[in-house]
Amino acid sequence: MKTLPAGQYIPGHSFLHQLDARTKILCLFLLIATVIGALSLWSYALVLAVIALLILVSRLPVRPAVAPVRGIYRFLLIVFLMNALFFGGEEVLASWGIFQLSREGIRQGFRVVGNVLLILILGNLLTMTTLPTQVTTALESLIKPLKFIGVPTEDVAIIISIAIQFIPTLVEETELIKMAQIARGARFESKKLLERAASFIPLVVPVFISAFRRADELALAMEARGYRNAKNRTRRKKEPLAPHDYCALAVCAFICLVQFLLLRNLV
Amino acid sequence: MAIKVENLSYSYEQPFGEKVGALKNVSFSIKAGDFAGVMGHTGCGKTTLLQLLAGLRLPTGGRVYVNGEEINAKGYDRSGLRQRIGVVFQYPEYQLFATTVEKDVAFGLKHSGLSRQEVIARVQWALETMGFDFAKVRNQSPLALSGGEKRRVAIAGVLARKPEILIFDEPVAGLDPHGRENFLRFVKEMNQAGTTIIMASHNMEALAGYTKHLLVLEEGRLIDSGATREVFLRLQQRNNWAFGQTKAQRIATLLAEGNLALSPAVVTYDDLLSALKRELTGGGKG
Repeated sequence: MKTLPAGQYIPGHSFLHQLDARTKILCLFLLIATVIGALSLWSYALVLAVIALLILVSRLPVRPAVAPVRGIYRFLLIVFLMNALFFGGEEVLASWGIFQLSREGIRQGFRVVGNVLLILILGNLLTMTTLPTQVTTALESLIKPLKFIGVPTEDVAIIISIAIQFIPTLVEETELIKMAQIARGARFESKKLLERAASFIPLVVPVFISAFRRADELALAMEARGYRNAKNRTRRKKEPLAPHDYCALAVCAFICLVQFLLLRNLV
Repeated sequence: MAIKVENLSYSYEQPFGEKVGALKNVSFSIKAGDFAGVMGHTGCGKTTLLQLLAGLRLPTGGRVYVNGEEINAKGYDRSGLRQRIGVVFQYPEYQLFATTVEKDVAFGLKHSGLSRQEVIARVQWALETMGFDFAKVRNQSPLALSGGEKRRVAIAGVLARKPEILIFDEPVAGLDPHGRENFLRFVKEMNQAGTTIIMASHNMEALAGYTKHLLVLEEGRLIDSGATREVFLRLQQRNNWAFGQTKAQRIATLLAEGNLALSPAVVTYDDLLSALKRELTGGGKG
């Protein structure tokens, strides 16, 4: 059975689904700041409470919502060990050569791993309640201010949306090419690391070639339909933020403020 | 090698948990040495069926037997099966990757246990079978060849493994009429030499002119199967299924509407020609 990739959009009509994507992205940044700013147990309690509330409000099943946790536990373990063993600190519990296990190190390890997990879950909540196209349009309007420092924001927006649009196509194509190579004897499940890496060449090369071919074809098709540059494109719909968007933003900003002004210094 | 399929089903899982049935309860068997065609509209499940036959997907229901052995059973030698079943996917040229034609064709022989000489001999045989001059083409980059040549190299890569069953998915798509005829004649020769062929196609002329048996799929269900000629004649009776008719059949229908009914019933151009000849020389009814 194929399991859903983490973060895949699940349709619904919850409050989170109905929020404007721009609001959700801005709120995500505010909450990420809240997570990174957390120092005390109280501040983590606040963040956890917020996440629990969000999952409740989104009416998403809990398991996929916290799914990114499962996929990357090895990575997290390494991050934890790196922090725990290299952080240094006063209270050394044990040491082996250059490694030094200290109380501060362990704390730091937990903190970093915790932050990564919490941010992942928050990001996951965004993508699970927002269509990719909504995310790209939102990004497009959010990066607009960068125009004043010379960033071609329209082109960047087009690049992002084309890239996202092509993900499913490329996934499907990869699947087919993988099958074709297996049918003629390719083995992708070798235990030896080097052999395994080499076995992916017959997969990676055709997928790359095909991605470039598609890019070429798309460029031609866009030109044929009169695409010149992104600068003069206009949106079909302009939707202002609704009252509930402003409310959500205000709540997130409030949480962030509480974090930095009050809880941060509590022990 | 004979293939038997019992109550085969496959459904693709969509996000959000709904399932889309691509194949529903399909049962049939294909004898060793047969040339079987699979006919159906785009999206009717042809490609899925072929992938299931080759053991490249796990069915969600039912069983596939090759030579009496269930291929998805635990402990079945799947890599041995892959050795014996060759699959030429739609647009096989997209699977090329190696730096030279020779290496690409030899890729499938990596785990075959053949010696270097044997591998080279196989590669030479496969490329020559596909109409290449081995000495000329062996060190070229497969990616620098023309579209038609790429496809032939890719097919050579499958042939080199000397499969007992060859599965083709829309092999003539994108070939010009001349290339199409050449290719089909080649497949027929492979079949006469003893290889079992299973070919999915949209091309009615290709199916009518070359296959011995036909499987007709509609929305994942097997709606008809049997000897090619009989299946075509049965499909003609179902006038709602305009898809399963050859051009010769359509011409014969038009002639019949103009009061020139040909007999016996026409399926291929050859049928049409001989029936017309008989009609004109007065050997027929009139």
